[in-house]
Amino acid sequence: MLSYIDKIKEISKRLLKEGQVDMVIGFRKGTLPMMNEPHFARSPEAVEHFVWDSNCGINLCNYLTSRTEKIGILAKGCDSRNIVTHIIENKIKRDQIVIIGVPCKGMIDRRKISAMFAGEIGEVIEDDNTITVKGKGFEKTIDKKDVLQQNCALCIHRNPVIHDEMVADAIEEQTDVDRYTDVREIEALSPQEKATYFEKLLEPCIRCYACRNACPLCYCPTCFTDESRPQWVGKGQDLTDVSTFHFLRAYHCAGRCTDCGACERSCPVGINMRVFTKKLEKDCLELFGWEAGLDPDVRPPLDTYKPGDPDDFIK
Amino acid sequence: MKIVQIDKEDWENGIKKLFEVYRLFAPVKEADFHNFKQIEAGQLPDLSCLNTRLSPKSIIYPQSEVMFKYSLDENEEDHHILKEVDKDYSPQAVIGIRPCDAKAFELVRLNFDSPDYKDPYWLNAYEATTLVGLACESPCSSCFCTTAGCGPYHAEALDLLLIDNGDQYWAKVISAKGEAFLAAAGWTVAVEEQTALKEIEVKKRAAEDKISAFVKTDKLREIETNDLYTAAFWEEVSFSCINCGTCTYVCPTCWCFDIQDENRGNRGCRMRNWDSCMYPLFTLHGSGHNPRGTQLHRVRQRFMHKLKYFVDKYDAGIQCVGCGRCIRLCPVNIDIRRVCGYMNSHVASADTCEV
Amino acid sequence: MEHMGIEPDRLQFSWVSSAESTKFVKVVTEVTQAIKELGPNQNLVKTMPEVA
Repeated sequence: MLSYIDKIKEISKRLLKEGQVDMVIGFRKGTLPMMNEPHFARSPEAVEHFVWDSNCGINLCNYLTSRTEKIGILAKGCDSRNIVTHIIENKIKRDQIVIIGVPCKGMIDRRKISAMFAGEIGEVIEDDNTITVKGKGFEKTIDKKDVLQQNCALCIHRNPVIHDEMVADAIEEQTDVDRYTDVREIEALSPQEKATYFEKLLEPCIRCYACRNACPLCYCPTCFTDESRPQWVGKGQDLTDVSTFHFLRAYHCAGRCTDCGACERSCPVGINMRVFTKKLEKDCLELFGWEAGLDPDVRPPLDTYKPGDPDDFIK
Repeated sequence: MKIVQIDKEDWENGIKKLFEVYRLFAPVKEADFHNFKQIEAGQLPDLSCLNTRLSPKSIIYPQSEVMFKYSLDENEEDHHILKEVDKDYSPQAVIGIRPCDAKAFELVRLNFDSPDYKDPYWLNAYEATTLVGLACESPCSSCFCTTAGCGPYHAEALDLLLIDNGDQYWAKVISAKGEAFLAAAGWTVAVEEQTALKEIEVKKRAAEDKISAFVKTDKLREIETNDLYTAAFWEEVSFSCINCGTCTYVCPTCWCFDIQDENRGNRGCRMRNWDSCMYPLFTLHGSGHNPRGTQLHRVRQRFMHKLKYFVDKYDAGIQCVGCGRCIRLCPVNIDIRRVCGYMNSHVASADTCEV
Repeated sequence: MEHMGIEPDRLQFSWVSSAESTKFVKVVTEVTQAIKELGPNQNLVKTMPEVA
């Protein structure tokens, strides 16, 4: 994916020069190993900062919400699906954006990699299929495939579903993945076991709301957790309030979540809150045959009624 | 300054005795990272940790703290009266706290213990706490403590500084609380001071030399507040911010809180919870107006508070100890070192930020 | 709801017309019966905050 950089710069430069867009949103190199920072360029010169590697996991669609400029945006498969969802939900106009598609081979999981080494990681160098991790007293080369973010390892839409430009030819999609083993494991638990499982999962939560804010779907002017008249959910560290926040946040993503992994990636205490959204994703697929963000012209199942919608739950 | 030698063989035994006097808090590894937790008899502090994921500020300043309770039940005595709740301010000790995190308590104290206001909850907990620091031998690449007013061996904010010396720890006594802590553990073998101090100085230099990140703060005081406030770089700095509260919640020096009443039936309590200047609700007025209505406003506030307003108000350096947590945990890699650089080198120009 | 750890029988949906009084009685009886068997809900019930 490293070879994309020149092409990204070239396309961005052209779009800015020709005045097709006012800004291009991409990534610049971060100040820590395995981190890049979302960044914008408003002039052809500014695109020089752009980079692309396996640390571009933040969902850039988050930066499109309600913007009024003409924008060029880099989009992996998942970002592109969220852009489609944004278009469906009127958060951005199709003709306002130029989508620069990036075929994605998956982003690496920096938490997982950090946990593999006792010391601090000083440098991470990557090539096409491997990454080399260096630190004081250690150096190891790992197969990128083994340290992908879980959502990337299970991804079946690596190529952008919608694009105006492409930085490279489309890559082969994964077909032999079982996306829902973890969800099925939880489904198999008894109600009490589920409750205990989620309690344990959410116990470290500090309510920083990074998961909510990293999510391109969470754009409400005022989130229900921030409503004060009436106040729907307590603000303390009570586990019931914490769980309420997580459950409701997940519900709001039903039929919209593309499993881009931004929520899990952003969590400072390593909670995998994707187990909630994945359950809803699985239900949408099984009940309505729906995958979010594939086509801007199809209304999502939760805002349409069809006579054939499943209704077995009504006695 | 007294220095006591603790043989590592005696460590476990001493800790055991300490349980009789103190509630002990120490780094504990859970899942993939360390955090400060109250340890129980049989448990030992995990001093192998580089630093804890979250700062230890919650030991003195819990994220969620009940201050009062009340009842509206007229059959009860004292109904309709806000009553203080009983709290446990018995002695507690934090073992293995880093010098930077300890220094943070000193900075936070400026806010909670001012001539005008004294915060009883914070102060009572602080008074009850003995800070037993561990000198930092392996600072992270994102640590910049030496240019943020402290350092890996910074002892002033501690009661006791432990220095790893192979088979033993040297414990540098800084306060009476530290002395009492050593006595409670039965660690009393003093070492010859001058020689030890010399060796500690060498180790200190070596640790400081390992610090590879720095900030410059010398100009912050003299730059005009308004020039900084309207600087053009805020758009770039704030662009990627998603306005979560991670930086403020993991920061050892962030102290803001919100007060909430919670009711169940006819009784309830008044509590305070950490709040964050990153949240729109933090400054939302009853009228609906929000003076910090945009993400840019809020990002600017955080950095201006830490690196300008605090500097101007207290003349005690920046409101940052260089622990690097906000850098390591920011989901989008906003780096206070970079921002501090922009601020410190800012020259007023016509190119200004419009918000 | 079930996935959150709430027992399936606690939440029931029924379609009862205003003309179906017997069905209404039957549904209400069955629901109350099911809930009584489950006993009071234990999950996601908030208690007073502990003193920190």
